[in-house]
Amino acid sequence: MTPHAVFLQQLVNGLTIGVVYALIALGYTMVYGIIQLINFAHGEIFMLGAYLGLTVLALGGVAGAGGPAAIGLGVVGGLAAIGGCAVVGWLVERVAYRPLRQSPKLAALITAIGASFVLQNAAMLCYGARDRYVPNPFPVSQWQWGGVAMTGMQVLIAAVALTVMIGLQWFIRATTLGQAMRATAQDPVAARLMGIPVDRVIAWTFMIGSGLAGIGGALFGIYYTTINFHDGYLTGLKAFTAAVLGGIGNVPGAVLGGLLLGLLEGLGAGYLSSQWKNVLAFAVLVLLLLFRPRGLLGERVAERA
Amino acid sequence: MSSDGVEIGSNGLHRRRWLARVAAVVVLASAAACGPREPVVKIGFVGPLTGDQAAQGAEMLRGAELAMAQAQTAPPIPGYRLELAALDDQRNPAQAVAMAKRLAADPAVLAVVGHLNSSCTKPASAIYHKARLLHVNPVSSNPEISRQGFDTFFRICATDDLQGPAGAHVARHTLGARRVFIIDDLTTYGRGLANEFKRATVAVGLEVLGHEGITQGEKDFTPLLTKIKALGPDLIYFAGMFPEAAILIKQRRDLQIPAAFLGGDGLYEPTLITLATPAAAEGVYLTTLGADVHTVPTARAFVEAFERRYGSIGAYPAYAYEATNLAIRAIRTAGRPDRPAVLAAMRRLDEYPGILGLHRFDTRGDTTLRTIGIFVIRDGRFQFLKAVEPSE
Amino acid sequence: MTRPTPRELLGRTHPLQGLLGRSLGIGLLVALPLVDGNAYHIDVLTVAWLYALLALGLNIIVGFAGLLNLGYAAFFAIGAYSYALANLQWGMTFWVGLPFSALVAGCAGVILGLPAIRVRGDYLAIVTLGFGEIVRIVVTNLEPWTGGPNGLLGIAGPVIGGLDFGVTSAPYYWLAFALVVLGVWMSQRLMRSRMGRAWMAIREDELAAQCVGIDTVRVKLIAHGCGAAIGGLAGCLFAAKQGTITPDSFDFILSVMVLAMVVLGGLGNPVGVVVGAVALTVLPELLREFAVYRMLLFGLTLILIMRFRPQGLLGARQIGRELKVRGAPAR
Repeated sequence: MTPHAVFLQQLVNGLTIGVVYALIALGYTMVYGIIQLINFAHGEIFMLGAYLGLTVLALGGVAGAGGPAAIGLGVVGGLAAIGGCAVVGWLVERVAYRPLRQSPKLAALITAIGASFVLQNAAMLCYGARDRYVPNPFPVSQWQWGGVAMTGMQVLIAAVALTVMIGLQWFIRATTLGQAMRATAQDPVAARLMGIPVDRVIAWTFMIGSGLAGIGGALFGIYYTTINFHDGYLTGLKAFTAAVLGGIGNVPGAVLGGLLLGLLEGLGAGYLSSQWKNVLAFAVLVLLLLFRPRGLLGERVAERA
Repeated sequence: MSSDGVEIGSNGLHRRRWLARVAAVVVLASAAACGPREPVVKIGFVGPLTGDQAAQGAEMLRGAELAMAQAQTAPPIPGYRLELAALDDQRNPAQAVAMAKRLAADPAVLAVVGHLNSSCTKPASAIYHKARLLHVNPVSSNPEISRQGFDTFFRICATDDLQGPAGAHVARHTLGARRVFIIDDLTTYGRGLANEFKRATVAVGLEVLGHEGITQGEKDFTPLLTKIKALGPDLIYFAGMFPEAAILIKQRRDLQIPAAFLGGDGLYEPTLITLATPAAAEGVYLTTLGADVHTVPTARAFVEAFERRYGSIGAYPAYAYEATNLAIRAIRTAGRPDRPAVLAAMRRLDEYPGILGLHRFDTRGDTTLRTIGIFVIRDGRFQFLKAVEPSE
Repeated sequence: MTRPTPRELLGRTHPLQGLLGRSLGIGLLVALPLVDGNAYHIDVLTVAWLYALLALGLNIIVGFAGLLNLGYAAFFAIGAYSYALANLQWGMTFWVGLPFSALVAGCAGVILGLPAIRVRGDYLAIVTLGFGEIVRIVVTNLEPWTGGPNGLLGIAGPVIGGLDFGVTSAPYYWLAFALVVLGVWMSQRLMRSRMGRAWMAIREDELAAQCVGIDTVRVKLIAHGCGAAIGGLAGCLFAAKQGTITPDSFDFILSVMVLAMVVLGGLGNPVGVVVGAVALTVLPELLREFAVYRMLLFGLTLILIMRFRPQGLLGARQIGRELKVRGAPAR
C-alpha cells in the first residue's frame, strides 16, 4: 500500500466519522444560536438514536440482509430514530429547559448535565450496560482502489448526511418556520414583537436538531456494529467541539467543523498515535474556547438587549 | 435587584444541621443492631458482575454457586452454615481492592475465590495476603501475580508465560506466518500476554513489525488498522478482551486486510462472534487456558450438572467450580473457622484430583496442571483443535 | 425592606447555641466507630467524609466564587498520583504527603485556572471539563510513570508511631472526619474574610466587582488554587486508604457527582455541602440493589434542585435568588 493510498484511506475513515460529527454538531449549533444554551443532553439523544435504530432492527429481524425487506427495515429504523429523538428532544426542552429560560446560564447548564445523566441511565436501564450488537440490514459491499478500501456503509452515511444537510439548508432559507428560526436567533425580542411564536420556534429547533442527531446515531450504530450507553458522552463532546470549531450558531460552520474534526482525528490517530486521539480532540476544544471561541466561520448568536 | 427579608443563617439553620446529624446517627445505629445471629462461615467471590464482562463474571459465579450447592449436603465445618459472599469488582482494580478489604474485614470469610481480570487480582491479592486469607484464583493468567511471593495465593489455571509461546508456535507452524503486528489493550493481562508472545517470536523465527496499545472502550480502530495494512503483516496478534477484539476483527475485514488474526483467551466468549459478525470472524485462531471442557473426561459430571441447571456453558465456570471446591476442601481439612488453619490446610495439600485434572501446587502457588487450548472459529462457532502441554 | 447585613449574610448566630450544637454533633460522629461494630458502615461513612472533603473544595470554586467547574476530578487525581508516586519512588510518608499533594494540586489549580480567566461562564464549564478529561487520559497513557490503566499499587498508608493503619476503616474514618471538620472551619473562616467577600462579589456581578477595585484575576486564581488544594488533600487520603489507584476512579462522572453534592447541600454553605456529600454517598449504599439508579439519582438531583430550590438544602436564600432571577447581563 503506497503512502499516498494510506493517506487517502485515513481521509476516507476520518470523513466518515466527521460526517456523523457534523450531523450532531448541527443540533448543538442551532440550539445555542437560538437560546445560548449548551445542550449537554444532545449527545445522549444521539446515543438514543442508535438504540432506537437497534430496537427496530432487532424487532424486525434482519433475516435476508441486503434484500428489499431488510433495507426497508433499515429505513424504518432510521425514521424511527429521527422521530423518537425529536420527541425526546422536545420533551427535554419542555420539562427541563423552558422553566429556566429566564435563569442565568449556569443554572441551565447544570440542569442540562442532569438531563444528560438521566437519559444515559434510562438507556442503561432499558438496554443493559453491555455493548449491544447492531445488525446491518443493508447489502454489504466493498470496493478497493489501489489499496484504499471503502464499504457501502460509508457511502450510505455520506449520502444520507448530504441529503439531510441540503434539506436543512433549504428548510432554513425557504420555509416560514426556517425564517422564523433565523429571526429568533437574530433577535428574540424583536421576533416576538413581530408576532413570531418564539416558544414554538424554540421547540421546533430542538426537535429538528434532535432528529438530526437521531439519524446520525442510527447510522453510527450500524457502522460501528456495537453501541453502548456511554457512546453519547464522548461523541457529543467531540461534536460540540466541531460546532465551536466552525463557529457556534453558524449552520454551515457546524458541517465544516464536523468534517474538519473527523479528519483531524483520523489523521492524528493514524500518523501520531491512536492512544492520544481523544486528548487531541479535547485539546482542540480547550484551545478553541480559550483563544478563538468565534471559531472558523464566526459565531452567529443573538444580540443581547 | 431587590432584596427582601433575607433569611439566611440564624437559629433555623443550626437546628436543621443538628437534627440532620442526630438522625443520621440514629439510623445507622439501628441498622447496626440488625443482622443474622446464626454461626456462618463464608467463601468470598469477587468478579465483574456489572459492566462489559458481566456475562463472564456471572458465569463464573454460577460455577461457584454450583460447588456451594453440592457442598450443602455435607457442610465442611459441622455446626456452621456455609455461604457464598459474592461481590462485584466491575473489572476495576480500585473497586477490586475495596471489595477485597470488605471481605478481609468480615471475620466469617475464610477463603476467597476471584477475581477474573489480572489487573484486579493482582492488587487484591496483596490485601488477602495481609489479612492471611486463602486466595484461590480461577482464571487470571498474568504470571506476575504469583511472583509477588504471597503464601496465600493459589492459582488453578495456566499462565501467560505459557500462553504467549504457545501462540507464537501456532502463528509460525499452524498459520505459517512470518511477519506479525502485535496489539494489546494496555491492561495487566493484555500487556503481559503481548510481551510474552513477543519474547517467544524470537525463538520461532517470527518478525515483529510493530507493537501498539489500544484503550478499552474504544470503537474506531480504522486509523491503527490502516497503518497496519500499510506494513503488510501476515498476522495480527491481539492480547486483550473480546469487546475490543470483535471490533478489530470486523474493521479488519472492512478494510480488507489480508492478514490472519490470532488472539488470547480473552477472545473465548460466544458474544465475540456475534459482535464481529460470523463472516468476519471466520478463520480467527485463539489460545485458551485449557482444553474445551466438553472434551475433558473428569469434567463430564460437572458439565452435565451445570448444563442441566443453567443451560449452556462457557469458558469460566469450570475454573470457578474447581477453585471453590478447593477452598471448601481446605476449610474441611482445617475443621474450624480459623484463617491460619485453613491456609495451613491448603499448603499441606499434596495433590488435588479436580474436574480439570490432577493439581499439584508449586512453591509460588501455581498449579502444575498447565494446558493451553487451541481453537479456531469456523461457521460461527468455536472449534476446539487441540490441547498442548508446554513443558516449562 | 432592609438590605441584609453582612452578619445575616454570613450566617452568624447565638454563639453558645452554635457551639453546643456543633460539639454534640461532632462528638456523636467521632464516637460512631466505637458504637457501631459493622465495618461496612464505617467504610461507607469514611468514603462519605472523603467526598465531603471534595465537596468542600469544589464549594470554594463554585459556591463561593461562582466559577462553574466540571473537571474537579482532575485535582483529586493529581493529589492522589502525587502522593502515590512520591511514596513509591522516594518513600515519602503520608504525613508529608498530605501537604505535598495539596501543594501540587493547588499549583495545578492555579496553572489550569490561568488561561481560563477571561472565559465566560458556560464556556468556562466546558474548558474545565476538557482539562479534567485531558488529565485523566494523560494519566492513563503515561504508562511508564503512572502505571497506565492498571494504575499504581502498594501505596503505603499512614503510620503513627510505628503503627500503620492496616486494613480496617476506623482510623481512616477519624482521619477523614478530622479533615472534614478542619475543612468546614477553614471554609467558614474564608467566607468571612476579605477574600471570601471578594469571591462573593465576583460571583454576584463580576463587572461591578472590578469597578470597586477587586483584582478579579488574582481572586479567581486564589479560588482555583484553594479549591484544588483541598481536592489534592482528599486525593492523598484516598490513595493511602486504597493502596491502589487507577485512572478511571477520576472520571467526569465523579466531577458531576461532587457538583451534585455541592448543589444539593447548598452552594456556598460548607456544612451544607458536607450534608449533601453524606446524603449522596449513603443513599446509594442503602439502595444497594438499586445501584443501577445511581446516575439517575445524581441527574435528577441536579434537575430538581435547579428547578425548585436552587439554593439546595441548607444554602443561603441569597444564592437561590442569584440563580433564579436574571439580574446583571450575563458575560
